[in-house]
Amino acid sequence: MTAGKTFIEISNLSKRFGGLTAVDDVDFEVREGEVLGLIGPNGAGKSTTFNLICGYYPANTGSIRLDGKEIIGQPPHKIAALGIMRTFQHNMPFEGMSVTENVMVGAHTTLHGGLIPVLLGTGRARSEERALRKKADELIDFVGLSEERDTPVTSLSFGQGRLLETARALAGEPRLILFDEPAAGLTPSECVRLSEIIRGIADRGIAVLLIEHDMHFLMSLAERVVVLNFGSKIADALPQDIRNNPAVIQAYLGDAAVIGADTENGSGADA
Amino acid sequence: MGAAIRWGGAALIMCVVPFLLPLYEMDVYRKMLFWVALAISYNFLFGIAGQMALSHFAFAGIGAYTVVILMTQAGVPLLLAIPLALGLAGILAFIVSFAATRLEGFYLALATLAFAQLFIVILDEGGALTGGTGGLTSYKLPLVFGFEIQGPWLAIAMALVLLLTLAFLLRIDRSWYGRACRAIRDNGEAAAAMGVDVKRTKIMAFTLTSVMAAGAGMVYAFFDNTVNPPVFGLENAFMLLFMVIIGGSGSHLGAIVGAVLLRLLQDMLEPFVGQFHVMGLGILMVVVILVQPKGLVGIWDDLVGRKRAGRRKAKP
Ligand SMILES: Nc1ncnc2c1ncn2[C@@H]1O[C@H](COP(=O)(O)OP(=O)(O)O)[C@@H](O)[C@H]1O
Ligand SMILES: [Mg+2]
Repeated sequence: MTAGKTFIEISNLSKRFGGLTAVDDVDFEVREGEVLGLIGPNGAGKSTTFNLICGYYPANTGSIRLDGKEIIGQPPHKIAALGIMRTFQHNMPFEGMSVTENVMVGAHTTLHGGLIPVLLGTGRARSEERALRKKADELIDFVGLSEERDTPVTSLSFGQGRLLETARALAGEPRLILFDEPAAGLTPSECVRLSEIIRGIADRGIAVLLIEHDMHFLMSLAERVVVLNFGSKIADALPQDIRNNPAVIQAYLGDAAVIGADTENGSGADA
Repeated sequence: MGAAIRWGGAALIMCVVPFLLPLYEMDVYRKMLFWVALAISYNFLFGIAGQMALSHFAFAGIGAYTVVILMTQAGVPLLLAIPLALGLAGILAFIVSFAATRLEGFYLALATLAFAQLFIVILDEGGALTGGTGGLTSYKLPLVFGFEIQGPWLAIAMALVLLLTLAFLLRIDRSWYGRACRAIRDNGEAAAAMGVDVKRTKIMAFTLTSVMAAGAGMVYAFFDNTVNPPVFGLENAFMLLFMVIIGGSGSHLGAIVGAVLLRLLQDMLEPFVGQFHVMGLGILMVVVILVQPKGLVGIWDDLVGRKRAGRRKAKP
């Protein structure tokens, strides 16, 4: 749980969509094994920051260094291979595959066999496959989906889908796992479960970058919180200090006013 | 052990059958094997890797034409012509898929359709090399170790191509590679996030299955000792699609069932409705999809599943 040394360093990161600067000169770092919260009103640029880390968009400026090496410009599958795995804000399971197979895909970058051993049916290819299945089963147990192992993924509940995404990302043996509003849409009891699982992930020494609107959920997990507003970082502090930070309160009050005008649900209002 | 017996048994039956059949039925049988072999590899490309390509039959034609041209016009011996023809098909498939991997669904279908059409145009306009619209005829397979391969022996050759194709695809389907293909089919963005190199995986699937089609085409070329453009045209490309969809796309068994069923239906319908049989099969496809998108195999699973569920309910 105690954070180790910095392994991801983000500096001067910016992303523009046309005239809109979604991420504006952001700096922060991620330390080994920590749970880092990323919050901010709607449209603050949190998801865009995620997508930049995962290689979905090219950044306009800045750098993201992993162990000192630049990763901007790498395609998503290479970033995954470097140990950064993500879950999606809207569940994205592989619908034609079983729960176990979904998790096995997550382990893609950890396999070393190649296709020739598979074709020859070598003992090594088989034992790798067996070990992988076992690992997937363990992860399915870890997230509490043991009962659903044979359920078609299309019949999983939303909350179960979230757990599946989590197990799938863990299968890649990440050093950092990204969650984009994982508690959204979960029932209170599912929230408690997920929160336990995220704590369990951190206990395994995996760093977690957590975007979350549910402040109760976030504050109980995060060891440090970065706050974005209109694309810029306005705070980077311990959770207890965030609550009283004037800039943060200001940002969320502004957001609450906008939300009121839009008659949207006040997801940011509970800060 | 059990697997070896099953595969050996299947091979044995498939190789004995052609010797028991009268000539006409034997010919129907070996052409059926050709279609099944193509349907199996097309199912991997379309149903498992999710690539809506319409070039599969063209690649069978490329294999057929190349091996014949190499042997009859360039005097290349059979054992060299086979790898050369497979290699050419592989290179062409690689180029086509390299260009087409950014395309999906409808656009991939269009691009591969254009390629298939181009192939037909080249055959039609190929002069002496391809024999033009009439194709190439009256060539003969040379003796292999002093032995003339013809009739039922060609059925055996096709059976071996089919079994090899199936064994190969079953192996890769049940491996990390098959999972990567299915993952891309289901959600390319999520697959990439899991570390799957989408482009590479797609190119590999397209190239491998196209080479398999070429392999089946090579044997086919010697069934009647004639190859001509209409055989490798669009009608058969769509027939392959119908087979896989009706049988149950994504399922190896579905591809086999679909191919056998549609071949039989086609032979039965053709005398009555002429070329309208394509329409009939198209309607059949629509009906099957409406009932169960997973095709006949899906319908069967539903029936068995319902029976099981009924039994489970009856128990307590
Ligand atoms: N692909 C995109 N194209 C154009 N604008 C985008 C795109 N993605 C996000 N945006 C805009 O960038 C801003 C930040 O969005 P986002 O990162 O999703 O915010 P958050 O996740 O903090 O709610 C928003 O104004 C949003 O409309
Ligand atoms: Mg967002």
